Amino acid sequence: MLRKLAFTGIKSRLRDYLVLFTGLVISSAVFYMFEALATNPQFLKNSTNGMSAASFIFQFGSVLLTIISLVYIFYANSFLLSMRQHDYGIFMMLGAKPTKIGRLILTETLVIGALSSVIGVVVGCLLTASLGSYLMQSILQTNVANFHAVHVPAILVTLVLYLVLFVIAGFINRRKLIKTPVLGLLKGDSQPNRAKLKPVSQFIQVVLGIGLLAVGYYVMKHFIDFQLASIPLALVTIVFGSYLLFNAVFVWLVVLLKKTKWAQRGINNFTLSQLDFRIRNYTKILATVSILFALALGAITVGMGFGKETDLFTQGSSGYTMALEDPSAAVKKQVNKLDTEKKVSYSEKQSKDTVYYVKEEFDRIPLQDVSDNWMKKMSKGKKAKISYQSFDGQKLQKNPGSLYYLQKNGSDKTVKIISQSEFAKIQAPRQQLYLFRVKNIEKSKKSLDKIVKTAYPKNYETIRSTIPGGYAGYLNGLEVFGGFEFMGFFLGIAFLAMLASCLMFKILSGANSDKHRYEMLNKLGVRKNTLRRSISREIMTLYALPGVLGIVHVLFGLQLFKTLLISPYQGIWLPFVIFIVLYLLYYLVTVKLYESIVLPAVEIDK
Amino acid sequence: MNNQAIVSARDIRKIYGHKGEKQYEALKGITFDVKAGEFVGIMGASGSGKTTLLNILTTLDQPTQGTVEINGQDITSLKGNAVADFRAKEIGFIFQDFNLLENLTNSENIALPLSLQNVAAAEIKPQIEKLAKQLSITGILDKYPNEISGGQKQRVAAARALVSQPAILFGDEPTGALDSSSTTDLLEMLNEVNQQQNVPILMVTHDPLSASYCQRILFIQDGKIGQELKRGGQTRKQFYKQIIDDLGAFQGQEAD
Ligand SMILES: Nc1ncnc2c1ncn2[C@@H]1O[C@H](COP(=O)(O)OP(=O)(O)OP(=O)(O)O)[C@@H](O)[C@H]1O
Ligand SMILES: [Mg+2]
Repeated sequence: MLRKLAFTGIKSRLRDYLVLFTGLVISSAVFYMFEALATNPQFLKNSTNGMSAASFIFQFGSVLLTIISLVYIFYANSFLLSMRQHDYGIFMMLGAKPTKIGRLILTETLVIGALSSVIGVVVGCLLTASLGSYLMQSILQTNVANFHAVHVPAILVTLVLYLVLFVIAGFINRRKLIKTPVLGLLKGDSQPNRAKLKPVSQFIQVVLGIGLLAVGYYVMKHFIDFQLASIPLALVTIVFGSYLLFNAVFVWLVVLLKKTKWAQRGINNFTLSQLDFRIRNYTKILATVSILFALALGAITVGMGFGKETDLFTQGSSGYTMALEDPSAAVKKQVNKLDTEKKVSYSEKQSKDTVYYVKEEFDRIPLQDVSDNWMKKMSKGKKAKISYQSFDGQKLQKNPGSLYYLQKNGSDKTVKIISQSEFAKIQAPRQQLYLFRVKNIEKSKKSLDKIVKTAYPKNYETIRSTIPGGYAGYLNGLEVFGGFEFMGFFLGIAFLAMLASCLMFKILSGANSDKHRYEMLNKLGVRKNTLRRSISREIMTLYALPGVLGIVHVLFGLQLFKTLLISPYQGIWLPFVIFIVLYLLYYLVTVKLYESIVLPAVEIDK
Repeated sequence: MNNQAIVSARDIRKIYGHKGEKQYEALKGITFDVKAGEFVGIMGASGSGKTTLLNILTTLDQPTQGTVEINGQDITSLKGNAVADFRAKEIGFIFQDFNLLENLTNSENIALPLSLQNVAAAEIKPQIEKLAKQLSITGILDKYPNEISGGQKQRVAAARALVSQPAILFGDEPTGALDSSSTTDLLEMLNEVNQQQNVPILMVTHDPLSASYCQRILFIQDGKIGQELKRGGQTRKQFYKQIIDDLGAFQGQEAD
């Protein structure tokens, strides 16, 4: 009988369950996708040097993802409980035994958990097959032909982790339900948890909060002095700092705003009171979200920073895209088809241990190399157009360094620049060093690949990444930095999705007890638009506060990467924009869902 | 006292349920007027359609057929914002379960209808103080609704209903959740407001004591007005007796 009642309860709130369910499915799907990519042997074997570092990062990411999944399930679960507690309260009032109710909620949580994890893994397989391989192809440019979307260890890890989390969640729900008095269940959180102004303690909290944040930021800025201790130190200080700041400043702000004229207009006072009503319940999640937000945004920013680094790496690594020795007519024809900036060939002769070049040829067309000035400017974070410096024959005679970089890989011959007449005397076949530079390596990638294939058909695979010039640098950069970029992107989006859902579930959990307030306002004659505006302002505040603090965290957090990245702050707006757009989407969805729960339906039906 | 009708309801019908579904006719043609300054009660058995009628009169629901005019305005043709504005400006409400917003202080609750019309804060304050004095709630204005008694809550709710100087005050069993002494207090207060400020009141009630404060009582039976009782020149005690007698006869007749 009770079972049947419980089922009717679910049916009547099908839409809310659907939201919850979708959130859980997405969470487990993302987790699976990450695990499948991170632990797929094909993927790890396929890649060379860069990936061993990446596989460490993948593991690190996997730990972070587990932690955030835990937080996420916790919030999703409290949303579930908030939907059910009224029904269960009524059952208990009617005399149902607490143990029986406990068993019901445990079963319910487990069934939802198991179903959503299984569906999540299936969705995850599909996602990995489509989105995952697309991401790998477009960012990592690796060959994914032998990559499997269905990866048994990843399936097991995901299922086991999620089931364990749900068992824990189920027991937490059961405990909460049995321990809460029936009246508490029936009334939900309508018990006010009103903020009171305690100036002294609040002042101390603000000072302490800012102090802790300052310590955290300082540690990140002086990362080198603190070494490995800096990360846990920064995390702890920033977490507590954020919490204290929210606790004190938020309350203060609301109380101050309530005293203004603005508060007396329309239902502004109500909006403020809504915010201040459950303020204590929100400070914890707001602090958490601001940290997660920072982690997510940081991951994307750093990831994209690494991605950008690929370009710098490529542009800055050499004056030419490729150096070819004695290219055939067919190869030259292909080069001519490219969008080149520079094309030049120099005569050379090789003895056993020396390569000779003609001085006059360099006087006529000087050799180019990346200018030191440019490198300096870049590392200061200034955006500068790449510039080159020229080497004529005399300069090269003094310092042939730039020519060394253009020698065939593995060659340990000395380079000598000699006059035309001396060159003629050398007893060796006359050869050609053929150099060219394309305008954009990334755009010409396919054609460049084909050139290597035509020039060295036998050992193309190995030569490809060792051939002198910027192209090989680009390929190596892709592996290392592309891996980081991919990770950053993936983790960032996954974090954002989960943290925004946490906030969403927290807000929606409250919606059920807010419902009657909006009904009252409707009866008092508040226009629908006014109600809508109040709702969107309230939720906007709850989203904006952790977002702003999170952005500040990231701006300081990037100091950590100053040693790893040439210019961590350059082009920072792009990941920020991507992130804010996604975050806004979540905000809009939350507003819509909240409205659909609390706004009274228009009952006209003539 | 002039005889202009503040509320005039004509042949109101209400059918619940969409076409094609199982339908139920809750109101089967109700016609009546409430004149300026009148204190009218609506009584009837449970399920007879009292709340349905009140919801229609207060624009919370729409009749399937018929028209309602309040203060000369046809409320059944109002739409969207006009409905909300009408509710905010023209009518006051008192509910059985108070419907105070527990996240606002009592005085903020009372101020809400005026804030909605963007009345300046400086103007709101004296009005609240005046009403509070009249309803003897001055001491609890800065408290929150969960910190005061049921009787006090209902006075706060009454103050909120009266603050925008509505054309008419509606109540759906306003004394339903109160003990007898709070009930008497509230009714005395409503009576005073009705007499002194000439605010018409239309109140649904189950309770003969509450009903005895009215000047006229409409009995609803099966979605129709079954009987009308007038106080005329009787004292409240006499009227109370008459209501009890009539209620007995009325219910006896219903039981047949
Ligand atoms: N939304 C609805 N849908 C269908 N039927 C309804 C709906 N609301 C009320 N009814 C029916 O209309 C009839 C009148 O209901 P109403 O709530 O007006 O009664 P009432 O006189 O206020 O009763 P009570 O004294 O118990 O409050 C009842 O039979 C009820 O079942
Ligand atoms: Mg009723």
